[in-house]
Amino acid sequence: MKTLMPFRFGCTRHGLVRSGFSAALAARAAVVLMLLAPMASAADAPGMHGVWLTTDYPTRTARPGDTANLKLKLQNYNSAPEVLELRVGGLPAGWKAVILGAGSPVASAMPGINENVALQLRVDVPNDAKAGSYRLLLSAGGNSQRADLPVAIVIGQELPAKLQLRAKLPSLRGTPKSSFEYQFTVQNESDKDLIVRFGADAPPGFQATFSEGYGSQEISSIPIEAGQSKDMKAKIQPPENTPANDYPVRINANAEGTEAGAEVTLQISGQPTLRLSGPEGRLSGEAQAGSETQFLLTLANEGSAPASNVELTANAPAQWKVEFNPKLMPQIAPGQKIEISALVTPSSKAVSGDYMATLRASGNGASTSAEFRVTVTTSTLWGILGILIIAIALMVAVGAVSRFGRR
Amino acid sequence: MNKRAGSPWTGCGIVAVKEINDHLRSARMLVLELLVLLTGIAAVYSAIQGLRTTTGQDAFLFLRLFTDARNPMPSFAGILVFLIPLMAIGLGFDGVNGEFNRRTMSRILAQPIFRDALLLGKFLAGLATLSIGLLSLWLLVIGLGLLTLGIPPGGSEVARALSFLLLAVLYGGLWLAIALFMSTVFRSPATAALSSLGLWLFFSVLWPMLSQFLAAAIYPNDAALLLGVQSIEQLQAQQWLSRISPGALFEEAMVGVLSPMTRSLGLVFPEQMRGAVNGAPLGFVQSLLLVWPQVTGLVAAMILLFVGTYVAFQRQEVRA
Repeated sequence: MKTLMPFRFGCTRHGLVRSGFSAALAARAAVVLMLLAPMASAADAPGMHGVWLTTDYPTRTARPGDTANLKLKLQNYNSAPEVLELRVGGLPAGWKAVILGAGSPVASAMPGINENVALQLRVDVPNDAKAGSYRLLLSAGGNSQRADLPVAIVIGQELPAKLQLRAKLPSLRGTPKSSFEYQFTVQNESDKDLIVRFGADAPPGFQATFSEGYGSQEISSIPIEAGQSKDMKAKIQPPENTPANDYPVRINANAEGTEAGAEVTLQISGQPTLRLSGPEGRLSGEAQAGSETQFLLTLANEGSAPASNVELTANAPAQWKVEFNPKLMPQIAPGQKIEISALVTPSSKAVSGDYMATLRASGNGASTSAEFRVTVTTSTLWGILGILIIAIALMVAVGAVSRFGRR
Repeated sequence: MNKRAGSPWTGCGIVAVKEINDHLRSARMLVLELLVLLTGIAAVYSAIQGLRTTTGQDAFLFLRLFTDARNPMPSFAGILVFLIPLMAIGLGFDGVNGEFNRRTMSRILAQPIFRDALLLGKFLAGLATLSIGLLSLWLLVIGLGLLTLGIPPGGSEVARALSFLLLAVLYGGLWLAIALFMSTVFRSPATAALSSLGLWLFFSVLWPMLSQFLAAAIYPNDAALLLGVQSIEQLQAQQWLSRISPGALFEEAMVGVLSPMTRSLGLVFPEQMRGAVNGAPLGFVQSLLLVWPQVTGLVAAMILLFVGTYVAFQRQEVRA
């Protein structure tokens, strides 16, 4: 009705008439609602009469030092409202109990006809409480009516912490270089908030890190509220050069003595990795222009799978000749090293100095290349020829001396 | 033909020592050395000014003392190419005819000294004087470099600088042989000096132009003429022709020794350089091998010229 007030003052004559009509309609609707409410209650509990103190779980567990909270309800069926004193009886020595209404301690309650009052019983269990069942008698009593509710608090029989871990895709496939990401869900199935720690039982060298489902920060533990679950991600990185195989890894979650785990599998398919290296690790050598020089190279498969049909090629300066022996290798097993002799013949017209030749080994699934620096030296033949020319000149001098000498 | 009696070397040492004595005391030598010293030091000083402002790394920084040129000065090596012939001609143009003119030749030869010894002694004395001058200049340059650059030269740099010195002495020796030849052939020292200097000017100024012209004449190529370029044959012929000049030989040898990055002194085709590592220096022995033909040319020409002088001298009448 209040929302219509501005219309009443601010509108024209027509508007005023219309608002009055609306107000009357709303009032009638409210009356209908008021009539319906008691009818519904009466339908739920036919023939009920009096005051009732109820709770959903009259027996509950608690640990020493805990605070047990019970939700209570004081219900009045078809009787006149009355002040009802609230009491807690049978409280063991050292225990504290207080009844709360709307958050603050209350000593009495007064539910209307066919209405209820929500209450809460808070029991502070002392630290030294012994195991056993403790009965309390709650009562709400007035002049004409009285309701009793016996409740029991059981010490030592609480629900144990329990976790459940489920991996969504328990088996992934990849190479030793890929990282394996397993999504999994951890559920806290106990009645307490838990701090769950994660770990993985993996073969040596495998690295496991954990993060939240879509987070990027690496974490080692995470708090999970009672009954809640969290999506997590475990990233497992196998060491390089892991041989091809299936590797089982167990992802663990544990908290307060309970543990859950799931088995995941890394299917690692191998990969060959070739490496070409020179004598004593050097990738340089000296060769004379126009003549063949042999260099010893080592071709190693440092990968985890055999490389097959490996062929050696060279990209050398023009008119150079580079031959390999052997040139084609049908298979190189992982870890195998093969000695290769490269026969390099620089062009006879090559200018002395340093040149780069690219040596390449390529096979099925793997290839490598190495830059080989060749220092070309020229033949000393021309030097000897020069000395010969000088010698001839000297011979001419000697001849002249012997011909024209002595004067 | 009579058999020679006694060693031809008798008295060669005495002649050489006396000649060196004369050379080092002569005003002519002083003027020539001062000229070379002043221009050489100026060139090195300007090269040092350039080097001190460069920040790039260079494994052969010391050698750049000899080769770096800064406007307006040419490089030290360039100055030597031009001035060493002047020194050598100054030392040798009146070696033989001077003795005739002073009428001392018959007196000398009246001593127990053969003509061989006289000529060789004169040549060796000129070479020794030249070597003393060049060595002191070289040491001065190295000393200046040490003082101003503050870094010692590496072993390879020292070897290259030393071979540069040796090359300069050989180059001087060649011009000395030319001057001695002229002084033997012409009776007048003025004619000898003029013809030697003429040859020097011809080889240092005219011949580079002429060789290009001659190459074009030997290998006429219409397409090249039209485009204003030289064909490969022309370029090669020009290079070979230019190498007749001792200065060209010395320059090429110097470049090969003083710039280790030099890999070839002739024409290089791109396909020869495919895959080559740019800027990689050659080893000292390889550089030496590269310039060996030039060195051979210098030495052989020197010896042959000396032989020519010798033959001419032996056939001359001394008593005139």
